[in-house]
Amino acid sequence: MPQVKASPKTYDVIVVGSGAGGGIAAHVLTLAGAKVCMLEAGANYNPATQSDMFKWNYNAPHRAAGSKAKPFGYYDATLVGGWQVPGEPYTSAPGTDFMWYRARMLGGRTNHYGRISLRMGPYDFKPYSRDGKGFDWPISYEDLAPYYDKAEELIGVFGTQEGLENTPDGRFQPAPAPRAHEKVIKKVSDKLKIPCIPSRLAILTRPLNGRPACHYCAECGRACAVNANFASPGVHIVPALKTGNLEVRTGAMCREVTVGTDGMATGVSYIDTKTRKEVTVKARVVVLAASCCETARIMLNSKSTLFPNGIANSTGLVGKYIMDTVGADVGGYLPILEDLPPSNDDGVGGMHMYMPWWLYKEQKAGKMPFSRGYHIEIGGGRNMPGAGTLGGSHRVLGGGYGKAFKRDVRKMYGANVHFAGRGEMIPNEQSFCEIDPNVVDQYGIPVLRFHFKWSDDEILQAKHMQDTFKEIIGAAGGTVTSVGNISRGGEIIHEVGATKMGESAKDSVLNQWCQAWDCKNLFITDAAPFASNADKNPTLSITALGWRTSDYIADQIKKRNL
Amino acid sequence: MDVTRRNLFQILGAAPAVAAAQSQAEHAHPAPPAASAPAAYKRKIFDEHEWRTVHVLCDLIIPADEHSGSATSAGVPEFIDDWLDFRKHEDGDGNLAAGIQGGLAWLDQESTRLFQKDFAVAAPAQQTQILDRIAWPARASAADRRWASFFTRFRDLTVSGFFSSKTGVADLPYLGNKALSEWKGCDPKVWAVIEERMKNGYKSLAGEVKPWTD
Repeated sequence: MPQVKASPKTYDVIVVGSGAGGGIAAHVLTLAGAKVCMLEAGANYNPATQSDMFKWNYNAPHRAAGSKAKPFGYYDATLVGGWQVPGEPYTSAPGTDFMWYRARMLGGRTNHYGRISLRMGPYDFKPYSRDGKGFDWPISYEDLAPYYDKAEELIGVFGTQEGLENTPDGRFQPAPAPRAHEKVIKKVSDKLKIPCIPSRLAILTRPLNGRPACHYCAECGRACAVNANFASPGVHIVPALKTGNLEVRTGAMCREVTVGTDGMATGVSYIDTKTRKEVTVKARVVVLAASCCETARIMLNSKSTLFPNGIANSTGLVGKYIMDTVGADVGGYLPILEDLPPSNDDGVGGMHMYMPWWLYKEQKAGKMPFSRGYHIEIGGGRNMPGAGTLGGSHRVLGGGYGKAFKRDVRKMYGANVHFAGRGEMIPNEQSFCEIDPNVVDQYGIPVLRFHFKWSDDEILQAKHMQDTFKEIIGAAGGTVTSVGNISRGGEIIHEVGATKMGESAKDSVLNQWCQAWDCKNLFITDAAPFASNADKNPTLSITALGWRTSDYIADQIKKRNL
Repeated sequence: MDVTRRNLFQILGAAPAVAAAQSQAEHAHPAPPAASAPAAYKRKIFDEHEWRTVHVLCDLIIPADEHSGSATSAGVPEFIDDWLDFRKHEDGDGNLAAGIQGGLAWLDQESTRLFQKDFAVAAPAQQTQILDRIAWPARASAADRRWASFFTRFRDLTVSGFFSSKTGVADLPYLGNKALSEWKGCDPKVWAVIEERMKNGYKSLAGEVKPWTD
């Protein structure tokens, strides 16, 4: 290839990706003394100077409404990203409705994500053993528990000790007190025997490692200029850079893992997004953390004589069993919350209370029409007004205009609540990604084609969500204002599972150390190794599992096994 | 508890950064351009005649009262024109704008049929006579239903445009978007009102709410 520029230096480790998975790998490995080269496809990002916190929606175009370019609003931290990224297409097989979210920037999706930090429980690692569906993980909760401890202590998570079934408690900072609507919903939940407990978010309520506690402006999604919430750039990458062992290359779009004649990875080749030239980097170990599907794409595009179907893909399982989270949302109007004395409801960026799954025993006893659980996320309160504020007032007021209408619609402010169910999807044969035979992106890299299908387990679970939320709203004396259907695949942005880990090289891509069975110096630290996708949002588990994998890599380098 | 930027400096370790971000956010943009200088706005959707009708309609929906100014004083016509243009690009079609413009045209047609005048220059009683037919969707006649849908959409645009403006934010009021040194949770004064309603029931905008039972 005439345009290949080789980088002369050989690193200990190349980490592809800078989000939750790449960030933790670089953090742990550089602190252990390894020389690491991190590749990020997007641009550099510094929340201290680039965060839009404290800005007013009314000073933004269209009152900061979401758009295709900025799906989560004008001030969302994501520089370049969304379900469509210019110049980086993907395709869907006929009959598939899949949306693939990517964030092209240092820190990836950690910059804007909801920071919900729930440990997977003992059942979640052995779902097949429990109900005969999906796959068990090759590790148990006890294997990962010490790393959950470390992860929570590093990123900073608040919560409370509750002792609930399959909902492990953690090393928590104190949780913030609930807002008015959350106290009301807690009361209703108690009545309905649904547990409603303080949420668990990666936002500091006490100072930690030089990071200040939250100042309660509620806009974590805009990125925090003082690192009071967790995001990879401030929490993982800055300390890694301070070791002197980390080199970060931005604008580096990874194309493939390169392989030697012995079948070991020799490094990666990437496209410099500015020059479109190919660059190769060499290392003893390659860690992929490009995000679940992007990691599968890199592996499938890494074809060689030794790996004709893509690197470490002798089983043909790379790209298979992709899962998202099941979502269904219901909105309601609670009259008891209308016309209250004005108060500042901001708090942290996100809910202060949530409902973990509570029907484990009923499911175990075969009394439920679907197999896996969901948790409930609560929204509401006197949020910063933006586009859409107080829309749909006729559903409560019947209609109107003029002074009386203005008075009434003002009273409605803060009385709308929102319930979002987030549930477990069981992996299935119809949900996978592969390389599209025809389409390439602007860098000349073949793109992914998606196949995706919900099974009855997910469809019936979403129905249960809708019914439950309607019941809660009704029990609070409210009216239902909107009922959302089951989410589209990829819409909840929790893709996991494209390179599953397992007990044997016959039926999995990775072993329990997230090490490729077919290529022992290739590791994965994003969500691609997940063998199941519990309703517990993946970032905390990515961090814990990535830490465990990185400890193993550091140990194996020391023992000269890599 | 709210804190001034000066004592924020003493409270938070990294306060200078918080303060700097807050200060930057406050001063980076002056007043919203639409609110302070409506004349400077360049229309993208509405023509001169529609523009006049939009102003009249916005202020019929949200007039000035003892809390705040009217929809037009808060720049709502500019917001709506800009929003329709935005949706046109985002949605890949101009259907929302067309529906709004079609509804505005109907207001004129109906006003002319009844009063021989365009809607914007009809007498207030004549304007409300038409609006009363379409402002409560459930009460609208079968023939007026589509115009009630138009009015619902227009009212939602006016309401969200008004209450998300600087004027509307102060009217509600929204009291956040500032650095606090401490989070105390739900204000006891607020909770006292809620508990009183739970105990004795409450006559709400949506009707009578019965007392709560455990």
